[in-house]
Amino acid sequence: MSQHKTQLRRLLATLPAAALVLSLAACGSSGDGGGSKPGDPATALDTPTTLTFWTWAPNMDKAVAGFEKKYPKIKVNVVNAGQSAAEYTKLQTAIKAGSGGPDVAQVEYFALPEFALSKRLVNLDEYGAADLKAKFTAAAWSQVTSNGGVYGIPQDTGPMAMFYNEKVLGEFGIAPPKTWAEFEAAAAKIHQADPNRFITSIDPGDAGGVDSLLWQAGSRPFQQKSATSVGVNLADDGAKKVSEFWSGLLAKKLVDPAPGWTNEWWQSMASGKYAMWIIGAWAPGNLASTIPQTSGQWRAAPIPQWGTGDPVSSENGGSANVVPVTSTHKDAAVAFTKWLNSDPDGTKALSDNGLFPATTDMLKDPAFLDKPIEVLGGQKANQVFAQSSAAVSPNWQFLPYQVYANSVFKDTVGQGIAGNGSISSGMEAWQKRITDFGTQQGFSITAP
Amino acid sequence: MSTTTARKGRSPRRNRHSTALTVAMGLMLLYAFLPLVWLLLASTKDSKSLLSSFGLWFGDGFHLFTNIHDVLTYDDGIYVRWFGNTLLYAVVGAGGAAVIATAGGYALAKYRFRGRNAVFALVLGAITIPGTALAVPTYLLFSKVGLVDSPWAVLLPSMVSPFGLYLMRVYAQDAVPDSVLEAARIDGAGELRTFFTISLRLLGPGFVTVLLFSLVATWNNYFLPLIVLSDPKWFPLTVGLNQWNSFATGAAGSGATTTGFYPLIVTGSVLAIVPLVVAFLFLQRFWQSGLASGSVKQ
Repeated sequence: MSQHKTQLRRLLATLPAAALVLSLAACGSSGDGGGSKPGDPATALDTPTTLTFWTWAPNMDKAVAGFEKKYPKIKVNVVNAGQSAAEYTKLQTAIKAGSGGPDVAQVEYFALPEFALSKRLVNLDEYGAADLKAKFTAAAWSQVTSNGGVYGIPQDTGPMAMFYNEKVLGEFGIAPPKTWAEFEAAAAKIHQADPNRFITSIDPGDAGGVDSLLWQAGSRPFQQKSATSVGVNLADDGAKKVSEFWSGLLAKKLVDPAPGWTNEWWQSMASGKYAMWIIGAWAPGNLASTIPQTSGQWRAAPIPQWGTGDPVSSENGGSANVVPVTSTHKDAAVAFTKWLNSDPDGTKALSDNGLFPATTDMLKDPAFLDKPIEVLGGQKANQVFAQSSAAVSPNWQFLPYQVYANSVFKDTVGQGIAGNGSISSGMEAWQKRITDFGTQQGFSITAP
Repeated sequence: MSTTTARKGRSPRRNRHSTALTVAMGLMLLYAFLPLVWLLLASTKDSKSLLSSFGLWFGDGFHLFTNIHDVLTYDDGIYVRWFGNTLLYAVVGAGGAAVIATAGGYALAKYRFRGRNAVFALVLGAITIPGTALAVPTYLLFSKVGLVDSPWAVLLPSMVSPFGLYLMRVYAQDAVPDSVLEAARIDGAGELRTFFTISLRLLGPGFVTVLLFSLVATWNNYFLPLIVLSDPKWFPLTVGLNQWNSFATGAAGSGATTTGFYPLIVTGSVLAIVPLVVAFLFLQRFWQSGLASGSVKQ
């Protein structure tokens, strides 16, 4: 608890996104980077403690019950404090205030560097997290490491896959495309047969979706070089490839530039207006619960490829569990986080809950791999997803202020997607906004 | 709403209506009502027909009661709890805001004291600061005194309504004639008694106006509770429904949703606006001016 008063920037605080970044705005006094020394986890687990766990994944109490049974002295209070940005706003304010925050929190990978950089999170390296590295997929582990520290334990991942409606593709006599060139040909075929139907949609407001496409194409637009310097390049080869490809599709009206997840969008998914959805491996649960009438029509396949060599994939979504520096039970909190996300009982409970695993054991587990998935017509799709997970291309990084960057995506790249200019000019605008903001926040920005 | 055109003598009022205006008003009405109609119709559909039928007509089957049942029972009836919280925040918060604003506005309008203008200027300045901007500082303040994550964290800020105070000062200026106050004082009534028995009645319409404004504002307040509450058991409807919405819209990028949330959100929203409609219908009859006319000879 620091009594140090920092100047609150009232204007910034009006925006949740900006409120998040307040932390970066030269207030290096709150939180001491986890001043207390790690104790013995065994002792901590044998001391009566109540932990507060912020997560938005439903049914998490079932997973937690297993832990409480094993360590009866610890009670874990599961709180759904809101989802994604809603939770981050709260988490930042709580940590800043020094109280009222949780002991463990769920944070998506894209937001993690922001919390880590502003010294909001316990560096789990001090708690021997390095031993866990081998348990997780390389992609998941690289997303919790930031500037040489480990700031979270991976909880779930979202390797990319192509979910296509078999019935719809069959109607047009199209085989599931294996490359982006085939994808374009299939899109043209659908458009010729029926201009009101599309191979898929692209969301002008979803930065994460475009990030996944860039990632897969080999683009590395965001680089965190040190605690104070950041590289931004939204015009590298991969980014150019993606921008031009999708601009071309949009110009020929081969994909539908529509916001995802809306009522209208689900209607289009249910009615066969869209033939496929290219998204993270967590999607079957959403298909099954939102449009049950299409259950059994969907199939999963690898994401279309750019090249002919080994398959390359990327991630979409996924989160880690972090321990904020304000936690008063850090030892127990770390022990709980480790158990939930790496103990076989913990990971099984998470997987049963619909979270796509982040541990290599789980991804190799025959029971998991051979599980038929009803919404995908009984396909053992976890095999497809596990291959995708193994093929995720390494070294992707997020900005230390990705939450802000994502919030201005729809005003920049989103405009290009929606048809006001090209995606490339949208990328330029996004680059500019990200650079300006980073400079304001005191980062030195290296741009191409 | 009757518009009285200038009447000459006692000639009967002529109904002059303009087609263009009527059409324009009709369009406005449509614009205002269509979303509501959509919402009401959507609340009668299940997940399947919500996502397959035409928005402005019934889907197959009438699922309103099933939906209401689902809303009220999901997660051990958390929705009912949110509803209760919202009622508490709105009634206590808006009631408090109206009482404080009325008393304060009356004092500023009818008493002369040192610093009166400074206080009023401060209030005017406070109006210009959006509540959202104060949410984070409020959190920091409350966390120091240990009030975060409790209903007080929402109630206390809700009771402060600078706009209400300003409105009541302006209203009290004219609604309570000085001569009435003087008459009361001559008759030997104390200040408090005068306020409660005479002024408050004259201030009724203004009071109700402020009450309604604050009621709607608290009912719809989103950012403040979002910041200061983390435990869902204290959420108001706005934050709770938004949480359901983010389940439905996969804001978290995980497939861990297990329910078809859309019908829940739609039906939950319908239930959430019912009390506001009732409050408006019930309170609008107090919205009459001219209560003070005839109390004194000017």
